[in-house]
Amino acid sequence: MSWLRPRRLWRPAPLERHYEFVIIGGGIHGLATAYYLARTHGIESVAVLESHYIGFGGSGRNTAIVRANQRTVENVRLYEEGLKLWPVLTDELDFNLMFFNCGTLNLGHSEAAMNGIRMLASTHNLVGVKSEVLDPQQCAEVIPGLDLSDRPAFPIHGGLYHPPGGIVRHDAVVWGLAKGASARGVHIHQGCEVQGIDTSDGRVTGVRTSLGSIGCDRLGIMAGGYGSAVAAMLGIELPIHPLTIQAMVTHPFKPFLHTAFSSGAYHVYANQTLKGEIATGAHMDPQVNYTNDATAYYLKHQAEALVELMPALRGVRFMRIWSGLADMTPDMAPIMEGELGYEGLYLDAGWGYFGFKSGPVAGKYMAQYMASGERPEILAPFRLGRFLENRYSGETAAVMKYGHWD
Amino acid sequence: MSRLRPGETCRVDFSRPLEFSFLGREMTGYAGDTVASALYGAGVRIFGRSLKYHRPRGLYSMEGESANTFMSIDGVPNECAETTELRAGMAIEPQNVRGDPGRDRFGFLDAFDRLMPAGFYYHLFHRPYALWPLFQSGLRRMAGTGVLDPGAEYRNGVRTERYLNADVAVIGGGPAGMAAALAAGESGLRVCLFERRGRLGGQMTWRVRDFEGEPLYRRAGALAARVRAAENVNVFTRSPVTGVWGENLVTGFAVGTEDDPFRECHWECRATTVVVAAGCMDRPLVFNHNDRPGVMQVGTAWRLARTYGVRPGKSVAFSVADDLGLEAAIDLDDMGVRIRFIADARESGQQGPEVFDALCDRAIPFFPGCAVSRAVGRKRVRGCVLRSLKGGRSRRFRCDLLVANAGMQPRIGILATAKARLAYCTHTHGYQPTELPPGVFVAGSMTGLRDPRSIEASGRVAGYGVAEWCGGRLKSVAGARAPAREAEALPGPGAGCGIIHAPAIGRGAKAFVDLDEDGTYKNVKESIARGLDVPELAKRFAGFGLGPGQYRVAGQNLAMIMADLRGDPVETAHPTTVRPPLGAPSLATLAGPGHDVHKRTPLHSELAGRGAVFRRAGAWQRARHFGDDPSCRDEIRNVRTNVGVLDSSPLGKFRIHGPDALNALQRVYMSDMSKARPGRCKYSAMCNDMGQLMDDGVVVAEGPGDYYFTTSSARAGDTVEWFRFHTRHDDWDYNLVNLTDVLGSLNIAGPNARRVLERLTRDNVSNQAFPYLACRRITVGDGVEARCLRLGFVGELSFELHAPASYVPYLWDLVMEAGADFGIRPFGLEAQNCLRAEKGHVIIGMESEQRVTLTDIGMGWMWDREDTVSKKVGAPALRACDRQPGRLNLVGLRVEEGAKAPRDGTLVVDGDKIVGYVCTTRSSDTLGWQYGLALVHREHAFPGRRIHLCHEEAPGQRVTSTAFVMSPHFYDPRGERLRS
Amino acid sequence: MTFRLTCPVCGKRDVYEFTFGGQERGPRPEQDGLSAEEHFRWTQFRLIPNEPQEEWWYHGQGCGVWFRTTRDPGTNREVR
Ligand SMILES: Cc1cc2nc3c(=O)[nH]c(=O)nc-3n(C[C@H](O)[C@H](O)[C@H](O)COP(=O)(O)OP(=O)(O)OC[C@H]3O[C@@H](n4cnc5c(N)ncnc54)[C@H](O)[C@@H]3O)c2cc1C
Ligand SMILES: [Zn+2]
Repeated sequence: MSWLRPRRLWRPAPLERHYEFVIIGGGIHGLATAYYLARTHGIESVAVLESHYIGFGGSGRNTAIVRANQRTVENVRLYEEGLKLWPVLTDELDFNLMFFNCGTLNLGHSEAAMNGIRMLASTHNLVGVKSEVLDPQQCAEVIPGLDLSDRPAFPIHGGLYHPPGGIVRHDAVVWGLAKGASARGVHIHQGCEVQGIDTSDGRVTGVRTSLGSIGCDRLGIMAGGYGSAVAAMLGIELPIHPLTIQAMVTHPFKPFLHTAFSSGAYHVYANQTLKGEIATGAHMDPQVNYTNDATAYYLKHQAEALVELMPALRGVRFMRIWSGLADMTPDMAPIMEGELGYEGLYLDAGWGYFGFKSGPVAGKYMAQYMASGERPEILAPFRLGRFLENRYSGETAAVMKYGHWD
Repeated sequence: MSRLRPGETCRVDFSRPLEFSFLGREMTGYAGDTVASALYGAGVRIFGRSLKYHRPRGLYSMEGESANTFMSIDGVPNECAETTELRAGMAIEPQNVRGDPGRDRFGFLDAFDRLMPAGFYYHLFHRPYALWPLFQSGLRRMAGTGVLDPGAEYRNGVRTERYLNADVAVIGGGPAGMAAALAAGESGLRVCLFERRGRLGGQMTWRVRDFEGEPLYRRAGALAARVRAAENVNVFTRSPVTGVWGENLVTGFAVGTEDDPFRECHWECRATTVVVAAGCMDRPLVFNHNDRPGVMQVGTAWRLARTYGVRPGKSVAFSVADDLGLEAAIDLDDMGVRIRFIADARESGQQGPEVFDALCDRAIPFFPGCAVSRAVGRKRVRGCVLRSLKGGRSRRFRCDLLVANAGMQPRIGILATAKARLAYCTHTHGYQPTELPPGVFVAGSMTGLRDPRSIEASGRVAGYGVAEWCGGRLKSVAGARAPAREAEALPGPGAGCGIIHAPAIGRGAKAFVDLDEDGTYKNVKESIARGLDVPELAKRFAGFGLGPGQYRVAGQNLAMIMADLRGDPVETAHPTTVRPPLGAPSLATLAGPGHDVHKRTPLHSELAGRGAVFRRAGAWQRARHFGDDPSCRDEIRNVRTNVGVLDSSPLGKFRIHGPDALNALQRVYMSDMSKARPGRCKYSAMCNDMGQLMDDGVVVAEGPGDYYFTTSSARAGDTVEWFRFHTRHDDWDYNLVNLTDVLGSLNIAGPNARRVLERLTRDNVSNQAFPYLACRRITVGDGVEARCLRLGFVGELSFELHAPASYVPYLWDLVMEAGADFGIRPFGLEAQNCLRAEKGHVIIGMESEQRVTLTDIGMGWMWDREDTVSKKVGAPALRACDRQPGRLNLVGLRVEEGAKAPRDGTLVVDGDKIVGYVCTTRSSDTLGWQYGLALVHREHAFPGRRIHLCHEEAPGQRVTSTAFVMSPHFYDPRGERLRS
Repeated sequence: MTFRLTCPVCGKRDVYEFTFGGQERGPRPEQDGLSAEEHFRWTQFRLIPNEPQEEWWYHGQGCGVWFRTTRDPGTNREVR
C-alpha cells in the first residue's frame, strides 16, 4: 500500500563543494544519465543541476510519442532499445511510467511519401522492428474518421503503421528517474543555474552556478534546447539550432483515438492522452531562440490541418497551447560526444523533437561513456565530427538550405 | 418553475418561451437565457458528474470557469452550458454519466478517495507488468467526459475570419473598458472594444446600487449607448479574447450574431496598444464539500436572479469576503430571496456604515470573521456549518443554496499571456502587474478598485494614457492630467482577503481546490509530501488547473495554499503559467473557411478536358496522367515512338541582367557560367554549402550581362531568395525577375516533334539550323513570339516553348491541331518521370538526398573545379568529399528476369546490412526489362556487380530480388535520339 | 509570441512574412587554401549564447530584400 503513504520521490540534498560527476540539466537525459551512473557504474558522487525545476525543459513539454521507426538502421537500433526500456524502467523504478503501447501511424500524402514509407518499413522489418505499409482504407481502420476523399489539399495515400510505438506519461519519466537516482545517492539540485564552466590545463574542473561554485571531474552537458547556450560558455560552436516547437491539447473526450498518428505534409502529430485530451504538436518556428513562446499562428494552423485530416475534430476545442525547445541538428540525429577539446567534458544534445523517446537509452550509454571514458559502439554514429566530414546520418532525406536548420 | 421578475436588469424575454429538452424531458426557457440559466430555471440542479470521483456537480460559475456544466448540446460534446445561448429545440444531455446525473453508476468511487491520493496511479498497476495493459484500458475507459463520434459531422455552419487593425484594443466592456474606449476615441484613436458577453456593462449591468443618483445598471446603459455612438469605437460583443501575443496582437473569436447564432468568426487584431479591463471573478472558498450542487459563486447567484430572473434558492447562506458579496446578499434579499445569514471572512474593512445599516434594516444575521467550513447534503446542499476563523464552536444552518467565496481575484489571464510581470499584492490579495509590456495598460476592478467611480475613472486614465503613448494626438496634454488627478481623489484599491485556512478535513470529506480534475486540499498536501512542492509541479502531479477551466478556479488558491503549507510568506506564491487560448475556440472556428491556396497552370482546363488526373505538386495542381491508366504505358510509348506534349508551365523561369549578373550566376551554379552563350542552353546545377543538389536547369545568354534561365518547379519560389542570400555581402548590381507565372510553357517531345513544330512556324527548326541545346525565338501561329529551347529531359527530340501565359492556351490549340495527324497526345508527370528515369536523368529529391553530393550522383562533371575565385556555393564541400570512401553513389540497375519486382523504396542489402536503396524503378516497355535508379554504397557501385534487393512492407512478407549495377543511362546512352 | 521585424523597406511586419537566414558571419571565406574542416565549421557550426545576435532575414512576402537586424533569442525581440 505504498501509494497511500506519500513519501518524497526524491530527497533534498546538501549542495557539496565537489562531485565526481556533474550533469547540467534536470531533463530526462540528465536524470537518466545520473541514474545509470549510480545504478550501473556504482558511482556515488553525482549531482544533477537544474536551473528551474526538474522537467522544466522539453521533458515536461513534449507530446510523449515514443517509437523506433527511424530512417536509418543506426537510429532504429538506438530507439528500439529505448522502446524496450519503458517496461524495464517501470519495474526498476517502481513507478508507473504509463507506457501505452498503442502503436503509431505516419500518414503519407503523395507517391513520393509512400516510397519513403516503403523504405522505412523495409528497414524496420529487416532489423526486426515491426512496421507495416497501410493503404488508405487500412489507415482509417487504425484512425477512425480520417478523410480519405480527395477533398483535402494533400489526400491520404497510405501510411506506416508501427505497432511497437506508443505514448508514455512524460512527467512520470522525469519523476521516476529522479526517484531512482535519488534513492541511489544522486543529488538533485533544483533552482541551480549553471552560469559558467571552469577549466584548467584543458580539463574541466567545475561549474559556477547561481548557488555557488561546484567542482567536478567529469561534466555532462544535457541541457536540452539550452545545450548550445551552455556550450557557448566554453566557446564551443555546435551545429545545433534551438527552435521553438509548439504543442496544444483539446478538451478531454472519451477515448476514440487509439493510435498516435502524424502527418508530414500537414506538420501535425497527435495522440489522445490517458486523460482523454487530444495532444497535438506542430511545426517549428525557424529562428533560433531560447524562449518558450507560443504563437497564435500555430493554434490556427493546427486547427486547419487537423480538421482537414479528420473532419469530426471540428467538434473539439483547444484548451491550452505551449511551447518548448527543439535542438535541431542538420541531419536530425543527435550528438553524443566526449571529444570536445576539454578532458572530462561530455555533450548529449541535438535531439530535436526525438529526445523524449530516447531519454533513458541515451542516458544509459552516456553514463557508460562518461564512466569509462570510452565511446560505446552504439554511439559511434552520433559523433560531432560527422558534420566536419559531411557525413550526414540520413535520418531525414531533406537537405538544408542555409546551414542553419530550415 | 416560477421565475423572478427582476425588472430592467433582466435580459430574458419572458414573452418568448423556447422549448428544449434535457435528457429527453421537455423543458421551457426564454429568449435571452443561457443553457445553464434555462436548466436551472427549469429546476435542474445536478448538471453532470465530476471526472475522477463522479461526484454530482451543479451550477457553480457563469463564464465557464469550471467544467461543471459541460454538456452535450445537439450532439456536440463538451459544450459549456454557461456560455451557450439557449435556442429553441436544443437537445441537451449531461456528460460522464449514464442516464440521470442524479443517479450515477460510478458514484461509489467517491467513497474510495482515500485509496486515490494525488498521483496514486504512478504507484499502482505496474506489478506484475503483464497486467498493466489490462488496468490501462480500464483507466482509459474512465478518462475524458464528452463523447465525440469520429464519423460524425460537427459545426458545419458559416465560418469567417476577420483581420483588424487598431490604435487601441480595449479588452473588457465593463465600465472601465467603456470609459477607456471613450477617452481614447475622443482623443482621435481608432478603438476596438472586445467583450465576451452579449452586452456591454460588465457587472454594472446587474447591480442596482445607487451611482450619483441613478442605479448602476442605468449608468452602464448610458455608457454603453455613448460607446455605441462613438464614431471611432468599434464594438465587438460575444467576442472572447483568446490571448494577447507578441507586440499586441490580440486574438479571439466571435460566436453568433443576433440574426445568425451559427455564425462563428476567428479574428485577430494588430493593435498599437491594449487596455486590459478584464475585471474580477470569485476566488473560491476552500472548505469541505465546496463542490456540492448548490454551492456557487456570488456572481452566479446574483446574475441568476438579476439577469435571468431565476430564483437561485429559497434559503440562501452567504460566506464571502468582499463588499460585493454583501451587496449581492442585500440585493437578493430585496428581491424576496431569503438570506439565512452572511458570514464575512474579514473581521473589518467593510466599506461604509451603509452596509451595516442595510443588514440591520433587513434583519440579516451577519458574522464577521467567520466562514463556512462544510456544506451539508450529498446531492445538493441542505445546510452548512459555520465557524469563526479564530476557532471555537461551529454552528449548523439549514439552507438550499450556499454562496461562497474568499473575495474576488483579478482575471489575470490576458495580462499573463501578454507577458506582464505579475506579483502577489498583500493589500488586494490578488496578482497585480509590476511591469507591463510596452503599450499595455490596465484598468478597472482587476486593479483592486471597488468604488464604481474609481473604476470608471481608472478607465479614463488608461484611455488618455494610451492616447499619450500613441503619439500625443491629444487635444491638450492637460486633458490627460485631469482624469489622473480626479482618479487620485477617489477611493483606491480595496483590501482583499488573505488565505482562509481550510478547517480540518473530516473522513471522506473533500475540500476542492480544483473542480475539473477533482483536486483537493489534501491532494496539495500529498503533492508536497511527495516533493512536488511548487505549484508548477503540483499542477502536473495532481492536475490542478489542467481541466477546461484551466487556471481560473485553482490558480491563485493553489499558489496561496502551497506557500502556506510550506510556511512561506504568501507574497512568494507564484501562480502557474497561464496558457492561451483563454476562451476555448473550436477547431472549426479557428480553421475558418479553409481556403486551400494553390496555383493552376494556364492550361488547366485544357488538360482537364482531356481527362487529366490532377495531383498537388508543390504550389501547383498538375496533371499526373490522363485517363485511367496510372502506369501511363500509352503516354510513354507515344512519346518514345511518336510525339507527346507536356504542360511544363510550373517550370521556374527567370531573367537576370545587370553588370554583375554573371558574377551571381558563377556564385550559385557549379559550372563555368562564363561559357553560357547566346542561342545555346547551358545545363547546370546549384548546390548548397554541403555540396548537396539543390536545383538544376539551363541558362541562356540573351545579351551582354543578360541571361534567361530555368529552375525546377519546386525551387522556383525560392530562387530569388537563394541568389540574393548567397550574394548578400557582395553589393553586386543585378536584377533578377521571376517569370515563372507570367510565362507558360509546353514541351513537344518525341521523334515526330519537329514535324509538328514545322507546321506551327515558318522559322527554320531543322537539325542544322536548330540543333540540340539551341535556344531561339520563333514565331508560332499567327505571330506569337516564343522562346523555343531544344532540350531532352525525357530522352527524345523535344522542343520546349515558353510564351506569355495568356497565349499558352492558344499555342496548345495550335499544337494539338498540328499534331492531330500524328496522333499527338498529352502526357503527364508520371510519364515524364518514367521517361527521364529511363534516360538516367535525376529528379532532385528523388535520386538525391542529404547524404549525397553532386559528385555522388554522377553530376560532378559539370563542376568547374579550377574556379576558386567565384566562391561557388558548395565547391569546398565537393572538393572535400571527392574521393571520400563510404559514400552513397547513384547507379543504374537492371533487375534480373523472373525476380519479384522491387518498388520505389526497396532496399539494397548485403547480407543483413543495408547498403542503399532504390529511388525509382519501373518495368520498361521501351527497354524490355525492369530498370532502377538507386543510391548504393560506393563499394557496390560499379558496373556488373550483382546486388540484392529486399523489401518487406509488412512483417514476414519479405520480397527479394537481384539486379546488376550498370550506368543509369539506360535509354539511348549516346544521346543520338536527342540530337536527331 | 507573434513578434514583428523591421524591414528596411516595408517597416514593421509580422515575422511569418520573413525567412530566417541565420547569424551574420561576414562574407564567404576565400576558397583558396580553405580546409574542409574550416569550411564545414563555417557553414554549420555556430556559437549561440543567450544574448542578442546580428542576423539575416529575407522579406519574401514583402519586398524581397535580405537585411540584417539584431534580435535577442532570449526574448525573440529586435533590439536597437
Ligand atoms: C512540444 C514538443 C513536443 C515534443 N514531442 C516529442 C515526442 O513526441 N517524442 C519525443 O521523443 N520527443 C519529443 N520532443 C523532444 C523532447 O521533449 C526533448 O528532446 C527532450 O525532452 C530532451 O530532453 P533533455 O533531458 O535532453 O532536455 P530538457 O528536458 O530540455 O532538459 C534540459 C534541462 O536543462 C535545464 N538547463 C538548461 N540550462 C541550464 C543551466 N545553464 N543550468 C542548469 N540547468 C539548465 C533546463 O531547465 C531543462 O530542465 C518534443 C519537444 C517539444 C518541445
Ligand atoms: Zn520588406
